[in-house]
Amino acid sequence: MGYEEDLEAYRSQLLQSLSNPLSRSVSGVLDPIQVYINERRVGELEGAGMDATLHVQSLDHIETIQLRTEDGTLLGGLVAPEYGYRTSRVQLSSDAVELCVHNTAQGGSLNAVFVSKPSFWSRIGKTFADVADRLAIRRPDAAIAHSMRTVAFTQALLAVMVVGLVLDRVATWMGPEQMLTSGVQPEALRTVSVTDMEKLEQQVGALARMQEKVGEALQSQQNSMAQLHQTMAKLSSSHESVASRVVMVKEEMEKRQESPGPETDRTTPHPVGRGVVDQEQLEMAIRSLTEDNAKLSREVASLEERNQTLTAKLHTASVNASKAVDPNPERLLATQGDVARKNQSLQVAESRQNSQMQPFLFWVTFSEGTSQESIDQWVHEKKGHKGSINEGWQEVQIVPPAVPPDLFLEQIRGEKIVKAARIRE
Amino acid sequence: MQNTVSKSQVMADHTVTVSRLEEVVSTSDEFDRVVSQALPVLLDRATGYTKRFLRETGQWNDDIEHEKFALRWGSEYLERFLVCGRSEVPCRPLFLFDSLVAKQHSKPEPFCYHPDLLRPLGRFLDGLVARAVVSRDALIALYRHSYGWGAGEVIAVTGLNGLESQRIYKNFRRWRESGWQRTMDEIGLTKTELVELASQQQRHRQRFNGEAERLIRVAQAHYRKSEPDHYPCLSRAQWREMFTQGYGCDYRIWHLALCLDCMQTAWGLGSSGSLTEEKPRLELLVRP
Repeated sequence: MGYEEDLEAYRSQLLQSLSNPLSRSVSGVLDPIQVYINERRVGELEGAGMDATLHVQSLDHIETIQLRTEDGTLLGGLVAPEYGYRTSRVQLSSDAVELCVHNTAQGGSLNAVFVSKPSFWSRIGKTFADVADRLAIRRPDAAIAHSMRTVAFTQALLAVMVVGLVLDRVATWMGPEQMLTSGVQPEALRTVSVTDMEKLEQQVGALARMQEKVGEALQSQQNSMAQLHQTMAKLSSSHESVASRVVMVKEEMEKRQESPGPETDRTTPHPVGRGVVDQEQLEMAIRSLTEDNAKLSREVASLEERNQTLTAKLHTASVNASKAVDPNPERLLATQGDVARKNQSLQVAESRQNSQMQPFLFWVTFSEGTSQESIDQWVHEKKGHKGSINEGWQEVQIVPPAVPPDLFLEQIRGEKIVKAARIRE
Repeated sequence: MQNTVSKSQVMADHTVTVSRLEEVVSTSDEFDRVVSQALPVLLDRATGYTKRFLRETGQWNDDIEHEKFALRWGSEYLERFLVCGRSEVPCRPLFLFDSLVAKQHSKPEPFCYHPDLLRPLGRFLDGLVARAVVSRDALIALYRHSYGWGAGEVIAVTGLNGLESQRIYKNFRRWRESGWQRTMDEIGLTKTELVELASQQQRHRQRFNGEAERLIRVAQAHYRKSEPDHYPCLSRAQWREMFTQGYGCDYRIWHLALCLDCMQTAWGLGSSGSLTEEKPRLELLVRP
């Protein structure tokens, strides 16, 4: 074969493989799909009927994405935009892979999701729903359509149950002896696994109880949240009323200043009376606002505590769940100790967290002439919250300090605007 | 006279195809239709660009090896364009194709070029390692072609568990059934060239394997860059930790297949004493 013919044969071969549609389509992907970013392999997507996902974060910009089978066939791909998002759905026979690429100044990210074709049962369910829908189309009433679908599903379920019962009966009548002989063999297996089964049952029971507790805790948390919302609403309404009254008082004072002598004499008794009333109302509102504020911070603290307890319970529940479904009883026994240790350490960590999260409360008086603004700034610097005021003592709540309380108070007393500080009211 | 007429007809068809490729396509289906009718034009275009790149970088010679090399990479670019270009609609396919090839050629070392890799043995090794980057079947087959190992030995050397082992057997089967032949077709190795390679190996086994080791190192060094960034060469202590702790399955499979030195370094760590003490040497197998 000469130079030209050899080259032409090679060219034709390449063109044939490029034009062959089989090279770019597959009849059902069961093996993992290899994912390439900028022609570098970054991972794989499980294609065995599961909805697998792959998330890749890259420091470099993503330029191209390629999906390949294990034999190297290029299934699909995507050219990424320089900035922003681009999505693409790569169809693989009945399955598909959804790609979403996002490029930013900091780099790029890719989300790939393998979307498998619906299973046999989900298709059956869909068929039933379609049949019911078709029946319902003749009666366009929505309620009738819903009831028709329910009836169709119930009838199908009933039919399956009846068939199952009949088969069970027939099996019982036809071969009790066979059942006995076949039952002898697994006897040993049953006795061996009785203890394991009991353990498993106990685990399942514990899991169910734990789930109930978690449910209750969630319910109580929801209630607390509702209360919190109510308090917040009250607080905001009282805040609004205070603000409006302040505006009213200011307006009244301006009017009084603007009005001339005799007229002022005539009108003085009325606004003064109203002013006194307003001032009283204002004081009351401020007091209620302070109380609400203190109540709110207490509720937030208690909610946080509850949240932590709930997290710990959920963690324990998930550990129990994993133990319950673990098919290997030896590993189950071995992991029990680990779990107990983990729980202990979790409890210790929780109690440590609780003690840390308990707010530190102290009372403080400020030097004369200190403005409210400087007091607020001081409290803000301490990352604290102001509480109620009692006989000139301001209640302050802060995150527990790193130093002992006495030393902390000494430090506080040394500050310029602080006159005195104490822990008890 | 008839020849002149057919030539002018071909020229006219070419012009029509190119002008159609210059027009805007709006949907992926339209893209597929237009591009599939213009594959020869696009292949020649990509091959021409690759030739020009090789000429401009002082890597071109007027021989069939260089022509085949340019054709192979032209076909590679066209395959990527067929798949990725669909996501770029609406676009003008010709301009998109030109930009894609230009982007490839603007990268440092867009392909593995070495004059010795253009001869049959070099082409075989280059094609094999290049394929291993995009195909797991070819990657696993590299162990077979480099050291003559079967699936069981690959599993022992890389210290794989049960689930991964099943995949190795599948990779071997697919490579034997179709992967090897497909790779040979893609790199343009003829049956005569393959027979000649096998006979060279029989006649001068040591020299042949020595030359193969030298060339495969060139190819591996280039294509290893296609691995994830976090797969560098490791010390024996680091490999031992990975094997004993049982993590980094992918790392072991990918890196050890593409690095002769690390294979020597990590030798015996995954086998738990079932392999011989002697470190593996390259013993090239041409057929799977």
